[in-house]
Amino acid sequence: MISIRNLSKKFGTKEVLHQIQLDYEQGKVYGIVGENGAGKTTFFRCIAGLEDYEGEISSDLTPLKNHLGLLLTEPFFFPKITGKEYLQLLCQARDVQISNMEDKNIFDLPLNQYAATYSTGMKKKLALTAILLQGNEYFILDEPFNGVDIQSNILITEIIHQLKALNKTVIISSHIFSTLSDTCDEIHVMSQGNLIKSVQKPDFATLETEIKQMTLGKKLDKLGLA
Amino acid sequence: MSNRHLKDAGIHPLLGYVGLTALFLGLSVYLFQSTDFAPYIYLLLALSMIGNLSEKRRTEFLRICFGDSSMKKIRICENVMASLPFLAFLLYQQLFAYMALLLALVILLALSQFKTAMAWTLWTPFSKRPFEFTIGFRNTFYLFILAYGLAVVAVFLDNFNMGIFALLIVFITSLFYHSKAENEYYVWAFHLKPKAFLLRKIKTAILFSTLLALPIALLLSFFFYPNIGIILLFIGLSWAFLISMIVSKYSEYPNEIYLTPSIFLALCLWFPPFLLIFIPYFFKKSEHRLSRLLK
Repeated sequence: MISIRNLSKKFGTKEVLHQIQLDYEQGKVYGIVGENGAGKTTFFRCIAGLEDYEGEISSDLTPLKNHLGLLLTEPFFFPKITGKEYLQLLCQARDVQISNMEDKNIFDLPLNQYAATYSTGMKKKLALTAILLQGNEYFILDEPFNGVDIQSNILITEIIHQLKALNKTVIISSHIFSTLSDTCDEIHVMSQGNLIKSVQKPDFATLETEIKQMTLGKKLDKLGLA
Repeated sequence: MSNRHLKDAGIHPLLGYVGLTALFLGLSVYLFQSTDFAPYIYLLLALSMIGNLSEKRRTEFLRICFGDSSMKKIRICENVMASLPFLAFLLYQQLFAYMALLLALVILLALSQFKTAMAWTLWTPFSKRPFEFTIGFRNTFYLFILAYGLAVVAVFLDNFNMGIFALLIVFITSLFYHSKAENEYYVWAFHLKPKAFLLRKIKTAILFSTLLALPIALLLSFFFYPNIGIILLFIGLSWAFLISMIVSKYSEYPNEIYLTPSIFLALCLWFPPFLLIFIPYFFKKSEHRLSRLLK
């Protein structure tokens, strides 16, 4: 379980997260939706301990960061490091020994090629493979479906289901609502650094309609396409 | 761009350029005093540095902006300007033939383009424990070929100093593998406390740099056995500077330029016993600096 109490974050005088209170339970998958700049990534970075913050974040397993697999929106790769070496680096960082790396290559990535030459989707799949191999208990997946092909999308959805079955805690952000409704038990809506709503699975369809209405409004009418 | 980097580090650009010029002159003088092969090494170093300007994407950007003909003129001007410090030093050494050769080669280089991201993967002995030596070896493997070659020549010419210079090429190259701060994700990902993290980095650096220097060290120890004490002294000093480089980097992490430790490091070069104070002090500072990411 991860407990978040009164989490606030400021960049200079601008408050980007405001008094967030949340509990993430074991064996559940949580989604976060919000417009670009709503504060999702900053929220994830605070949980991971990559940002200083006000408030309190606690977890059953401590320190949280040592049990957390963090998939960033745009994972950074060193030039001239192969996919296999990247996996080795991330596993060694947690002292995890992987003997049969090739067998774990579920996305069929060219592991002996430099990771910097991979496509956006391949980079995402490599970074995801690494945090799965680390054997984490908590997962934060910031837009895991972005740039990924349809086959891998299916595979990632199944991986998330399996992580849930293994009693892990998973937090996902995505701009594709169907990916969240397929995987999540609960979705939180974030707007301008505030958590404005928590929605349970039975109400996902209503939430989708609300988001559509909120987003579209009368914007299309302005274009005068008709 | 370099002005911005210097300003970000809190250095007045003028002061930075004076310092860089002094460093360039110092290293050039040292190289030419150390070996008769200095002009060749100098040319190779100049070309490898200036070659970075021929990167494919960069050249393509210039072509799109200015057209093919102007791009070529710009590239020639850039390369000639970048080679001016080397040309000036060769002029001072009255090595006119080497000057002409360097000028011809940089003009030729201006008309070429390289892909820095190679399509093929270069083998490295450090693949099992990424990342500093894995990447570093792939970027600078030719310097090791040069150093090993120089060590063999040193044996043939019975020139011990040249052999030590070859040994230093290996260690100095390894030092630069730790010169740039990595993305914070690659520190954060470790489940170690700052002290254990630093010790692991130091252990890996000493082990791998020694592995690279071992062929030269063994060769020199065999053929210049009476000087084995000097060889061991240089290896010991190289290890100390390697540790200093690592603790310097993390003492200012995640800043990319670390001015204060660099000044102290320069002092240590002048008087190596300072390292006994420098290393523990900056180790503690690094521990403190890393405690934000490594809990």
